[in-house]
Parts: sequence; structure tokens; C-alpha cells
Amino acid sequence: MDMDLKRLAKLSRLKFSPEEEVKYQAEMERIVAMVEQLPDLDASGPLIDPDNPMQLREDVSEHHFTRDELLKNAPEVQAGCIVVPKMVD
Amino acid sequence: MELYRMTATELSEMIAHKKISSVELTRSVLDRIASRDKEIGAYLTVDEEGALAQAAKVDAKLAAGESLSPLAGIPLGIKDNICTRGIRTTCASKMLGNFVPPYNATVIEKLQAADYVCLGKLNMDEFAMGSSTETSYFQKTRNPHDLERVPGGSSGGSAAAVAAGEAIVTLGSDTGGSIRQPASYCGVVGLKPTYGSVSRYGLVAFASSLDQIGPMARSVSDTALLYSIICGQDPHDVTTARRSYSDFVAGMQPSVKGLKIGIPQEYFGEGVAAEVRESVMNVAREYEKMGAELVEISLPSTSYALAAYYIIASAEASSNLARFDGVKYGFRAAEYKNLEELYENTRSEGFGAEVKRRIMLGTYVLSSGYYDAYYKKAKFTQLMIQDRFRQAFQSCDVILTPTAPDTAFKLGENINDQIKMYMNDILTVTVNIAGLPAISIPCGRDSKNLPIGCQLIGSKFSEQTLFNTAAAYENLVGGFDLDQAIC
Repeated sequence: MDMDLKRLAKLSRLKFSPEEEVKYQAEMERIVAMVEQLPDLDASGPLIDPDNPMQLREDVSEHHFTRDELLKNAPEVQAGCIVVPKMVD
Repeated sequence: MELYRMTATELSEMIAHKKISSVELTRSVLDRIASRDKEIGAYLTVDEEGALAQAAKVDAKLAAGESLSPLAGIPLGIKDNICTRGIRTTCASKMLGNFVPPYNATVIEKLQAADYVCLGKLNMDEFAMGSSTETSYFQKTRNPHDLERVPGGSSGGSAAAVAAGEAIVTLGSDTGGSIRQPASYCGVVGLKPTYGSVSRYGLVAFASSLDQIGPMARSVSDTALLYSIICGQDPHDVTTARRSYSDFVAGMQPSVKGLKIGIPQEYFGEGVAAEVRESVMNVAREYEKMGAELVEISLPSTSYALAAYYIIASAEASSNLARFDGVKYGFRAAEYKNLEELYENTRSEGFGAEVKRRIMLGTYVLSSGYYDAYYKKAKFTQLMIQDRFRQAFQSCDVILTPTAPDTAFKLGENINDQIKMYMNDILTVTVNIAGLPAISIPCGRDSKNLPIGCQLIGSKFSEQTLFNTAAAYENLVGGFDLDQAIC
């Protein structure tokens, strides 16, 4: 099994210390070995559930929240906007 | 008898006939929480003021002669992954430690319309990932039957609160067994409803195609009462089924005469403790005596279910949890130099180890080159499992199995062995994979005096049959004795 932990961490936006990397590598390899036990099936055909067709609701706007209510949970706010690090020089 | 020990069905009668007030009842449960929860650790947030205010409102409505829902004035605890407007909702994670939802989950709106009393929010495994409630960032919850043992998980707080008399009924959520396994460990009743029968709007998403909110209680009729209120189609959740539901309490007929009960040999095999096996087979024999027919069935696909479950659940989790980036809400790391670091530091500091493992597994099985070998294969295994259940239900009406392979284990016993922890779910995950309903009820104790639970599985939307079958056993044994946990 070829698990590139560094690449996976990058894709997951997670960081590990060198000690953690060793631990997670071992744990993940055991878990992947467990989930590898799947039967060989004919994996063709649709994957939708014919019993439960989904129906979207009408595309009508519903008023729910004020800006202030939604910004209350934001970690950093200035002048009614969420603050993030500078992205464009 | 102390009010906190009674069932919602009994208390509802007393409130409606003004024998007690909702304030008296709520006070009784709040006092119980105050005296007991230091040891149990079921609650992350107790909203004493809000609960008493709500109870007073119910009493005023009754005094004014209004006719109310049977749930009116009954104090409930809510699992902390269900959004409650104005009450902190943490998912037991540092990531949402300061999150106060600006909206209610649909189930909460329904409970409010029924005039329930909200006691507070209950501990769980972080983001519902775990089987012991030990992955909570904030605290451990102890099993009221034995304080050295886990209450199960992930809805461990919901199960322990009901068992200890710290709530009359509670809501939990079940993705792979998270209602049924803790119900089994704590000796209470827990229903995982049919996928699509209860709205997930406002339930913090773990694995969207498997998650369902469900009731936990000390009696089958309380479970049916709560389910009757929370089920139904919701325009805010496109996966809720378009259908109407009857009143499950009114429809209760606790009889198993002529009922065909399937016994799948695969669920009684190696890995299931002998005492658990014997106890569940004893339930089967009692059902037979009451006029049910036992049918031996086979569900061979079960051995693949755990693998398929962990692939699908982790894949969906890695995608759902991508939203926690430290920008719009929740925790944000203190140190970062750019946006990339903001994401990485926030997520690395905000998530616990089990959540990280699931995100990584999900990312792995969805990544280019592995998708066909894992995710796609798991989805087709899911179809096969659904098909096997369909076949099984041609020869029986319900399926009887143990809920968990063994009774509650000790705190710390499995926390460093993920595979052993995952094995706790082996008898419950198939139900989520197949989208079926299942109820866990207590069925005796082992030699350590710990509760054993059995699971009744039905075909889609057969909750009434499950309630009837469960209630027939409950009546036979004269109710589920929780004295040892409650005293």
C-alpha cells in the first residue's frame, strides 16, 4: 500500500509534526487495510435511488437573517466584512 | 415517585390534568442535573433560565385553557450537533467551541411548535465520529450503570442523560450506530429512523447520505411520541421523503401474533459475546411464545458492510468538513502568515485526532487513482447490501439481532486501537448503509450487571411495526428497569 501521507495532509489542509506523521502513517495504513476488504462486483450501472426521487423546492427567496446575525460568529470582522489575510499583492 | 424518573407519556397526562406544572417537572430534572451531572458529564451546556421560562409559558397556556401537544412542557436534552438558535452548538469540537447558531434545525422548530422544554446540549464524540464519546474535545461522559465505563457513542450524552434521569427524553443522531449502540450500553430505547423520514436541516453534517436524527427514551411509547413529532418532509432537506406519517402512539398495537421474525446467523457469530447472544436469543424465544414465527435468514454481505461504511462515511466527512476553514465562523488559529496557513493551522489545531483520521481516509479514497478502487466499489457494495435486505424481507417482517457485540467497555480501553473501536459498529452499520429503520431496546444484563441491548430492523418506513414489536417485549418484562442507574 502506497500512502503518501504528506500529500494527503496537503490535500486535507492539515499539518503534522514529524512525530505525528509517523503515528498517523501507521494508523492510516491499518485503517486502509481494513477498508480494502470489499468484494469484486460489477461496478457499472446507475447509483441513484429510484425509490426516492428528489424534488427541489421552488426557487423563491426567503428572508432569514440580517448581516449582523451572520457576522456574529465570524472570527474577525471589520466594517461589516470578514477579515482574511491579504491575497493579492 | 420523583418526577424526573417518570416517562413522558405519564408526565404528559399529569401536566394536561394539571396534577403537576411544567415548571415543577422542569425544576425536578434541573435539580437532578445539578446533583448528578458532575459525575456523569452528559451535558455540555445547561440552559436553566431558558428551560424554566419555557416551562412557565406552557403552564400559562394551559391555565388559559389551550389544548397542547402531548410533548408540551416535557424537558428534553438535545445532542450538541443539532443547531439551536441562540444556544451554543459545538459538535463537541474545539472548532465550534464558540459557535452560536443564528437558526434552528427543523427538528427544533417542530419541537418548539409542540411546546417542548429545552434543558440544554449533550456531549458526543467530536463531530459524531466515535463509539464511546471519548473523542469529545470538552469532557468524558460516564455510563450511569458503571462510572468507570463509557456510555457508548457517538450520542453518549443523550443516552447517559436519559438513563440517569437527567432528561425525560433526548435527541441523538445515528450515522453508523450512534443512537442504538449508546442506547444499548446505557439500557435505554433508541430509534434510528428510516433515512429520509426526519429532516437533517440544521444537523451539522458528518456523512449526509447516512445521518439521521432520532429519539432516545426510557420507554417505547416515549420513543414513538418523539418520533411522531420530528418526522416529516422538509423543503429545506431535499432528501426527506414525500409522504405522510400517521400518529405512531395512536397506532401502537403491542402484539407479535403471526409476525415473522428473521434471525440472521451472521449477527450471532464469532465476535459477539456469549452472554449477549444468549440474551438476544431469549428475546426471540419470548416472541415465539407470544405467537411470532422465528425464521432463520442469511445476510452474508454483512462482512463487507464495515469497510463500505468507513469508506462512504469518511469520504462524505472529508467533503463536509472542508467548510471549517477559520474564515466565516468557528475557531481561527492565532498564528498564520497567509491564507494557506490560516486554513492549515486552523484545521490542525481545531480538529481532534479521530476527525483528522477520517478526513485523511476520506481524502484518500476520493483522490485521483483511488476513487474506483474504494469509493465506487463501496457504493456498489452498498447497493448489494440493500438488495440482500430486500430479499430477506421477503421471508420475514422484522429482523432481530444484538445491537452491539458486547456490553459497555471501560474508559480508555479502546481509544488507542481504532480498528477495535470501529468493530463496535459491526452490527449497526448495515442498517445505515441500507437506509433502514432500527430500534434498540434493553434485554437483560450480563454477569458484570451491565445492560444488553437487542436491535429490531425493519423495511423502509416500517417504524410502526418496530414500535409494536418492541412494545410487546417491553410489556412482557413490565417496562425497562432503570432503578440501578437512576438511584
